Amino acid sequence: MAAIIDIAPAHSSRPRKATSDSLAARVLIIGTAVGFMGLMFVLPLVVIFQEAFRKGWEGFIEAFDDRATMHAIWLTLKVAAITVPLNTLFGLAAAWCVSRFQFRGKRFLTSLIELPLWVSPVIAGMVYVLLFGAQGLFGPALKEHGIKIIFALPGIVLSTVFVTFTFVARILAPQMEAQGQAEEEAAMTLGANGFQMFWRVTLPKIKWGLLYGIILCNARSMGEFGAASVVSGHIRNKTNTVPLHIEVLYNEYQFVPAFAVASMLALLALVTLILKTLTTTRRGAA
Amino acid sequence: MSIHIHHISKSFGSFQALKNVDLEVKTGELVALLGPSGSGKTTLLRIIAGLEFADAGEGSIQFHGTDVTNRSAYERKAGFVFQNYALFNHMTVAENIAFGLRVMPRAKRPDREDIDNSVTQLLRRIALEGYGDRYPSQLSGGQKQRVALARALAVGPQVLLLDEPFGALDAKVRKTLRKWLRQFHNETKVTTLFVTHDQDEAFELADRVVVLHEGDIQQIGSPQQLRDHPKNEFVADFLDCVMI
Repeated sequence: MAAIIDIAPAHSSRPRKATSDSLAARVLIIGTAVGFMGLMFVLPLVVIFQEAFRKGWEGFIEAFDDRATMHAIWLTLKVAAITVPLNTLFGLAAAWCVSRFQFRGKRFLTSLIELPLWVSPVIAGMVYVLLFGAQGLFGPALKEHGIKIIFALPGIVLSTVFVTFTFVARILAPQMEAQGQAEEEAAMTLGANGFQMFWRVTLPKIKWGLLYGIILCNARSMGEFGAASVVSGHIRNKTNTVPLHIEVLYNEYQFVPAFAVASMLALLALVTLILKTLTTTRRGAA
Repeated sequence: MSIHIHHISKSFGSFQALKNVDLEVKTGELVALLGPSGSGKTTLLRIIAGLEFADAGEGSIQFHGTDVTNRSAYERKAGFVFQNYALFNHMTVAENIAFGLRVMPRAKRPDREDIDNSVTQLLRRIALEGYGDRYPSQLSGGQKQRVALARALAVGPQVLLLDEPFGALDAKVRKTLRKWLRQFHNETKVTTLFVTHDQDEAFELADRVVVLHEGDIQQIGSPQQLRDHPKNEFVADFLDCVMI
């Protein structure tokens, strides 16, 4: 009888995990995280759209009825259209190299791939000015042949390539390393040449990771400010990309147009976020 | 098709995986490469397939008298079955088996109907009829192994190389597949080399067994010869201790 009474309380209380936190701790931690995210990310996003639509839809549309704005959007699209394919190729090549070959200096190369993450974009821009600018190392030679890099599209593309180089490579390299190359070897023994092997075996394996890398690379290249700012020279209707144009508009107290254009970039970020989530779940499922 | 391996060595950095290996496999033979792990047997198999290249030097590999030492894996087209199957996970079983036929150059490639027919035939042969639309992740280990074998056989290879073909399977499936492979070889007579660390497997299946240790061939002979006249202490020891 006594035994039954003893056991009863133990059965009635729910089992408690050793690692579970108390209610107060959980509320505090989750509250801090959510609060921080809301304050730092969600609120600014709301403010951007609020400012953009301060004068209603008409004011928003009007902001784009402007030569300089349209030019900036067009230029940004051009830069991304050149940068993203280039960096997709570079990224694939780098990831292939790092994941498939053993060679001296491999670790150095791996950290070099991450260079754009820890070098300020402004420095990236400055380097290209020092190399290709009028007073730069190759400046006189380029001038002689009538090639303009700095304060022109090539300079913006170069610096954007530098800043966004890392994404595709960094996402693919660990993925390809983890997958190994047994399937590629199988394809080879079955008579597939290099291209067939890549197209039919490797690409299907990495497609979601690759897509993820491309999306990030695109978002970053359209939003690039620092490096582009240094090499572009801020020439309106000529070398102003969208982020640079937003700054110009803002400095001229044209708040609605500034935020309207900014909302485009914010929208791009949101679309990127959604695509990223989709590709990540696909990657997890695959 | 016969295989001649002449003075093949291979090092990975300072580690020498194979030391001056000579081996001849006759047409239609079923040969086992037997040895403990790290003895170089898989390396030798990969070198024969062209997945690995031997150290530069006097070594050479000939397929039926033709020197293939410097040919790539896709030129050699030796049927290779990997230890962990290496099936294409994003393709169905039928697509896996058809892969080798589909990547053939246009002039040699059979038309769609012929490919479908050979896939059906191979599926029947490996007793997996009706599994063509499944994905590798939906198969058991033994089934995967058979698909890998069918995939290698689809292109009609003249050499079949199997790397620990039954290594990842449980004992019962292993025995069945063993019997199946022996029977299959009797019917087709494709020159076959397989790697194993299991002495029973080697003795039951192979016409001849090659015992490897630390990159050196210790002895080559029929199961009977090895059992009756082990050439050195290592062979006697290795065979004994596995038998216990």
